[in-house]
Order: sequence, then structure tokens, then C-alpha cells
Amino acid sequence: MEDIRKRAKQLLEAKTVDVVIGYGEGYGKKVKAIFVRKPEDADKLIYDERCTQNIGVYLTKHEVKHFGKAAIVASVPVMRTILQLCSENQLKEDDVLTLGITLEGKFLEFPTYRTLENFLANGVQPLTESDKELMAKIDAMSISERWNFWTAELSKCIKCYACRSSCPMCYCNRCMVDYNQPQWVSVPSTEIGNIEWHLMRAMHLAGRCVNCGECGRACPVDLPIHLLTFKASEEAKINFSAVAGLSMAMPSTLSTYKPNDKENFIK
Amino acid sequence: MARIGVFVCHCGENISATVDCKSVAESTAEIPGVVHSVEYKYMCSAPGQLLIQEAIAEHKLDGVVVSACSPRMHEPTFRNACSRANLNPYMVEMANIREHCSWVHEKGEATTQKAADIVRTMVEKVKKNKPLEPIRVPITKTALVIGGGVAGIQAALDIANGGHQVVMVEREPSIGGHMSQLSETFPTLDCSQCILTPRMVEVYQHPNIRLITYAEVIGLDGFVGNFVAKIKKKARSVDEDVCTGCGACWNKCPQKKIPNEFERGLGKRTAIYIPFPQAVPNKPVIDKNNCTYYKTGKCKICEKVCLPGAIRFDQPDEIIEIPVGSVTICTGFDVKKTDFFPEYGYGKYKDVLDGIQFERLASASGPTLGEIRRPSDGQIPKKIVFIKCAGSRDPAKGIEYCSKICCMYTAKHAMLYKHKVHDGTPIVFYMDIRAGGKNYEEFVRRAQVEDEVQYIRGRVSKVIEKNGKLLVYGADTLLGGKPVLIEADMVVLATAGVSNEGAEELAQTLHVSYDQHKFFAEAHPKLKPVETNTAGIYLAGACQTTKDIPDSVSAASGTAAKVLGMFAQKEITREPIIAVVNRISPPAFSTCVGCFMCQPVCPYNAIEKEEIKTRDGKVLKELARVNPGLCQGCGTCVALCRSKSIDLQGFTDQQVYSEVFAMLNDI
Repeated sequence: MEDIRKRAKQLLEAKTVDVVIGYGEGYGKKVKAIFVRKPEDADKLIYDERCTQNIGVYLTKHEVKHFGKAAIVASVPVMRTILQLCSENQLKEDDVLTLGITLEGKFLEFPTYRTLENFLANGVQPLTESDKELMAKIDAMSISERWNFWTAELSKCIKCYACRSSCPMCYCNRCMVDYNQPQWVSVPSTEIGNIEWHLMRAMHLAGRCVNCGECGRACPVDLPIHLLTFKASEEAKINFSAVAGLSMAMPSTLSTYKPNDKENFIK
Repeated sequence: MARIGVFVCHCGENISATVDCKSVAESTAEIPGVVHSVEYKYMCSAPGQLLIQEAIAEHKLDGVVVSACSPRMHEPTFRNACSRANLNPYMVEMANIREHCSWVHEKGEATTQKAADIVRTMVEKVKKNKPLEPIRVPITKTALVIGGGVAGIQAALDIANGGHQVVMVEREPSIGGHMSQLSETFPTLDCSQCILTPRMVEVYQHPNIRLITYAEVIGLDGFVGNFVAKIKKKARSVDEDVCTGCGACWNKCPQKKIPNEFERGLGKRTAIYIPFPQAVPNKPVIDKNNCTYYKTGKCKICEKVCLPGAIRFDQPDEIIEIPVGSVTICTGFDVKKTDFFPEYGYGKYKDVLDGIQFERLASASGPTLGEIRRPSDGQIPKKIVFIKCAGSRDPAKGIEYCSKICCMYTAKHAMLYKHKVHDGTPIVFYMDIRAGGKNYEEFVRRAQVEDEVQYIRGRVSKVIEKNGKLLVYGADTLLGGKPVLIEADMVVLATAGVSNEGAEELAQTLHVSYDQHKFFAEAHPKLKPVETNTAGIYLAGACQTTKDIPDSVSAASGTAAKVLGMFAQKEITREPIIAVVNRISPPAFSTCVGCFMCQPVCPYNAIEKEEIKTRDGKVLKELARVNPGLCQGCGTCVALCRSKSIDLQGFTDQQVYSEVFAMLNDI
């Protein structure tokens, strides 16, 4: 924690960066994202086991971009977020400085995205035990059981779109559900409309999800919706050997075609 | 509120026999927004078109639905008619109640109801239509012809004689293609070389033709009228401008045992060579894989004997980019080699030949100087068995189609043999004799009657070599499948014609479609046989499907007519049915976030990066932009865009959505 504060202070003093995005104390025992722009505020930065939010979501916000060059306190999912955003043309190479925290909790600075790639090649964050358990349970279900499980779960969705807001990959200016000419997905929370939304979200994130699980944590009604995108990532890995957020120039999984593809159906 | 006119056509009895057109017009009149709804016997006739034009003026129509045939048939007719009445042509839609309804259903209420549903669907679409303007693009008036066989030669000469520049790219060291390998041609038995060589020379000498041989097209960017072709000119190791074609080099080259591709392995050539004596250009190339110097670093005899000093061992491959307005693909075909046939000896038997090898044997310029001799021992064969449909029409071999040319050339082969070996016996095994074409049937008849070629209807199950003879085991199906065993001296297989090597890669480079046999696909099998689905790219000759010389030449002239027609215009007008990235007010500028996932899916490379800049040049945002000249309106990007920032003009989401909901009776 001290390392982060010290380094943030240095960076701001030297004006290497204009803002450090990190975690600070919030209300009660909660943490919140803070945007440190003055060296003397660097002491407000904290990092502990409560800091699970993927603050990479702020990197594409134009209010944050407006601050100037940013450094970010980055756990492994945040690092993957940075590389994936760069792949998708949302960040320019090396325009964010990464103050990384390894899976073991060690502080490590990454001056370039190339160094991030090298670091992430050694492994990424594993699924949590509870996610693994639930995923295995769902995998074991028959198709109809699975359908019933998800319709029951998704019927509780209140369409607050917290999942969308918390997701760093949902950076569109206008989401497809906000598109009303024509209105593809129904506005109110209805059984079919909820399913439409969550299926669409999973498809839009297939091959792009960095497995931070933020959507599931953000959900106010505790739906395990992050497992939908996790599963889509798994499928993308199995079928296309594509893992998001490991490279700053990954071709987009669902829209890339190779003339020498060994699968003949695609030609 | 929309003011839409609906015009229901009877199409003579094509529609009215099963659909109650009057009832369709009446029920359509009830739809909100429809102010005029009538029926007429022939809407596409002059009085029918006039009826529409008058109604537009009288009822102040702002949209028209013509409920008749497929839009492929008459959409341009009605769009033009309405345009003459000052209605934007893109406010006109066709409701197809013929192919989609009257032709496929029986007379009845349900059929009429379906017709009414189709019309209602299009009325709802027209309500969302917006006036569009055609796209105009300039033209580079240079034609690219890929392939220098007879089709390419014809296309190039026709275009060049029309007064436009032509760039011809040929993969081999010489132009001429398969036709230059043939001995004589059916159905007149005139010498192939004699009719082709003058045309090859004409190509070489034509002031409007730039001939690039030993080169391949490796890239094509741009769009109709404005392509840029990237051509890889392989190193000949000979300076073409200095070389006089004297022949000293290939006469002195010590490597003399290389199988000659032009003779299809029956003859030998040197390492520095011209493929055949009449080659155009008459300049040799060095085969680097077989040249002693390239292999060992020693030799250079050709360099020593070359008086003008044209040998360039260090010549690099060259990549040239040429702007062109059209592309004509004439890359030709190949025939299966004998090794494709386990039952006929896997290509092991020297005296089992394919059709082109036999052509070389019969050719005066061939390895035997026109005498039919067995490759194994040089003897004159007394009995030759010709096996037709070797591979063709055989789903088990993966070739379901008829290769079309073999019936004729086999008859020719048998005749040529008989003319050269008077006491010889030609025997042809056939499935059917397909001799459709001018003087074709007479030709086959002549082979059977005058030249006494024996035709046996049946298949050959196997060929076995024994004591210098080939035992041909067949059956005569006209005699109830009676087994036939013939002791032959030579067997000629009319092997299946297949797509040329590299056709698939070229199709992908040029972004044109091809079929499961890797033949290039035409835009329409009947009405657009020389066009591809990509505007400005045309097809001629056997790269489309196996074709004989007359068919290849006609297609080539057809493409030349298309190219010249395009070059006769100042600019190209294109349908504005293209994808467009939306634009909104700053600071967003567009709902497009510039993720460029659409870029790799575009089959036409039409998606570009557009930078939104401030006045002092600072880039505010990167957006996708669809190049209107390149876009073919396939809609793949529209389907892929997560934020629905791309829409297809003429088929917008709103239009299609309205159609679907009208169809579901849920407006």
C-alpha cells in the first residue's frame, strides 16, 4: 500500500501523469474509486482485500480522459481490461501507466503494454471457488434444466443495467437496448425481455470478457450473470483459442476470418 | 401521413389465375396511409406504367408499391417510370406476389390472403423509406486481364481494339494457355497453333496492351472503376529488354533432363527455357529449382554464351501496383492427371495418358513431332482405348458434373489417331455422347462412320499392364452388360476438367465467390453469366466451368462488351443500397465507438477509419466509415455492430422491422 502511495506521489509531482485512478475509503466500511490529481492526495490511496471493483471501467469515460494522462492501480483483471481496450481501439498503446498488483499482492509497475503482456502470459486470475462450484452445477444440468434455471434467475432481473455500467467492455455511447427505432429489446422488466438482454450481453461479450466478474458483484439482486459471460469466454477459448485481455492487438474473436482456416464450412 | 399508391398486377394470368387481384387491391386500400389502390392486367406495359405515373400526379403520391413479380425482374422498370413522374425511385418497392405467391400456391382464399399480406408488408416498408440518390464514381479506363489463354487473349484484344488500355498478367513464362498445347481443334480439325499464334503475337505487339508474363496478381484493393492491382512479377533471371530470344542459352544449358510441363511430362526441357517454340514473349526464364548455378553456385554457361548479356542471376522479384477500372478473370482450368485413378494404374503405366498428353503426341511440335508413339517403348500403337468420363459424372470421385469438352475431344483424338495410323483401331468407351453444338454431332458421326471409330457404351472397371500390353476390362451395357476385355497398346483417359491450381486463393484475393469445385461463380447463371458478384470483375473461359474454345471466346468477347460499356461512361452510377455509419451531433459525432470489429468481416474491404479532428488538427475521435464505392450492401457489418451504429440504406432496421411486424399482423 505504501509503495502505491509513494509511487503515485512521485508520478504526480513529476507530472508524468495527471491522474491516478485507484481505491479510497468510502462510506462505512466500503471502498470506492478515487481519482487523485494532486500529490498531497496520494495518501488517500488504499489497497486491500475489499478492493475488488474493476476500476478499468473508468478508463473509457470521457470525464476521466479529460483529466489527461492516467495511471491506474491495477489488479490482474484491470490489467487484462487495459490490453483488451487497446485491442478494441479504445486506448492508444501505452497511454495508461499500470501500477500493478500481482495475484500474490505484490506491487509491480508496468511502463508499457508489452511488459503487461509478458506478465499476463504467466497466468491470469482463477475462478473463485463458489463460481467454480456453480459453474460445475450448471454444466451438469440438462438443456431443459439449464433453461429453467436461467429463466427463473433472470425473471428476478429488474433491468437496472448495473451489469452494463460496471462492465469495462460495455463502453458504447449508445447501447443497443437504448436503441428505440426500432426497439429491439423491450424496455420494462419482462421475462422474455430480460432473457433477450442477458443473452445479448453474453453474445456481445463473447471473446471479449476479461473475467473480472464485476457484473455479478454489481447486480443488486445477486444474479450469477457473470457466469454467462464466463461461459462464453470458455467457449471462445475452446473453439477459437481466443482469450481476451492477454494481448494489445488481439483480432476480434467473432469477426475475424482467416483465409487459411482449416474449417471448410466458413469458406 | 404517408400517401401511398398500390398497383396490383395480374401479370396476364400468371397472378390472377390463383390470386383474386381485385380483392387484394380492395383490402389494401383500407391500410392507413394508402390513398390509391388499383389493379391492372399488365403493369409493366406502357399503359400500365402510364397508369402509375398519372396516379402519382393526381393523388400526390409519396410512395409506391407495385405488387407484381420479383424485384429482380421489374424493379428497375417501375423505379424508372416513377422517376419520370418526379417521384424518387427509391420510394418504390415491389411486392412479389408472383414467384412468392401465385406461382407456388393453388387458387384459393388463403392464396389471396397471402398476397394481401405481402402487399401490406411492403406498404409498411415504404412508409419508412427515404429518398436516396445514386452514387457516382469516376473510372480508371484501364482493364486488367488475368490469364493469357485463348479467353484472356480474346478479351484483351477486344478491349484494346475498343481503344482502351489493357494490362494482361500471365502466370506462366508465355501466353497461350491450354489452347497452345492442342494439336488440332474440333469440329473443323484446323491446327490449334496456326489459329492461336497470330493472336498471341497481336497481343504482344498491340500498342494498347501491356503484357506482364511470369507474374501473378497478389492483391486487389479498391472498387469498380477504381481498383489497384498488386502484381508480383517473378524474377525471370533474364533481362527481357536486352534478350533477343536467339536461343543460344537454352541450346547450351547442360541441364537437359527436366520434365517439360508444356509437354505434360512427355518431353524434356533445359533449366533456362521457353515453354514452346512459338512462346510469346520469346524470352526464356531460368527454373531456379533445377538450374545448376542456383543449386551449386557454379555453371553460368548461359551467361557466357549470351551475346547481348541478358542473364541476370541476381534479378529480384518485383511488385508493381497498377490502377485499373475492371478485372477480367480468365485463369482457365486443368484436367485431372492419370495418378488420380487407382483403377487405371495410379499413373504408373507409361502408356496410360490423359487428354492433354495425347494432344502433345498428336501435335506436330510435340515430343514425337506428331507421330503417335507409345511413351514406354516408342512403338506405334495398333489399338488405342479411349475412356470417357474418367472422373467426370462420378460422385464417388467428388466430381458430379459433366466436363462437357471430353465427348468432342475424344472423337477428335480417335480421328487424329486413325488419320495418322491407318491400320490402327480406336475404341471409345462412353456413358453418353454429348455432342450439342454447331456441327458437333456431325463431327462425332464422322468419326464413327468415316473413320470407323468403335464406340462401346459402358464403363471400364480396370486397366492392367501385362507383357507390354494394357488389358482393359470393360462392359458393354448395350449388350446387357456383357464383359469386354481389350488388349490395347495405349489407353487415353478423358480425365475430368477441374479448376486451375490456385483458383481458390485468387478468388479470395479478388473477393469474388466460387463454387464447391473452386470454379469462379457467375452473378447469375443465365442473365449474368460473365459477371461476378463483385462489381467490375468479370469472368471468361474455363475458370468458370470447363468450356470449349468457342464458348471461351464468346464469353471473353462478352466480358469485353461489359468492360467497354463501362468505359464508355464518364462515371459509374451505383445503387445507393449501401451501409452507412450514422452521424450525430458533437461531442459524440456518431454512436460508433470505433471498435472496428466491423472491419475484418467486410468482404469488400469497404470499412475505413475516419478521424474527427478539431480545426487545429487534434484527433477527437476515430470512427468507422463505409466507402460508398466499395460497399456492396451485404449488411454483414450491420448485423455485427454492437451499438447498431451502421444501417443499410434501403433496408434499414426500421424498414425490415416494420416489414416483419406487418407480416405478423402486429402494427
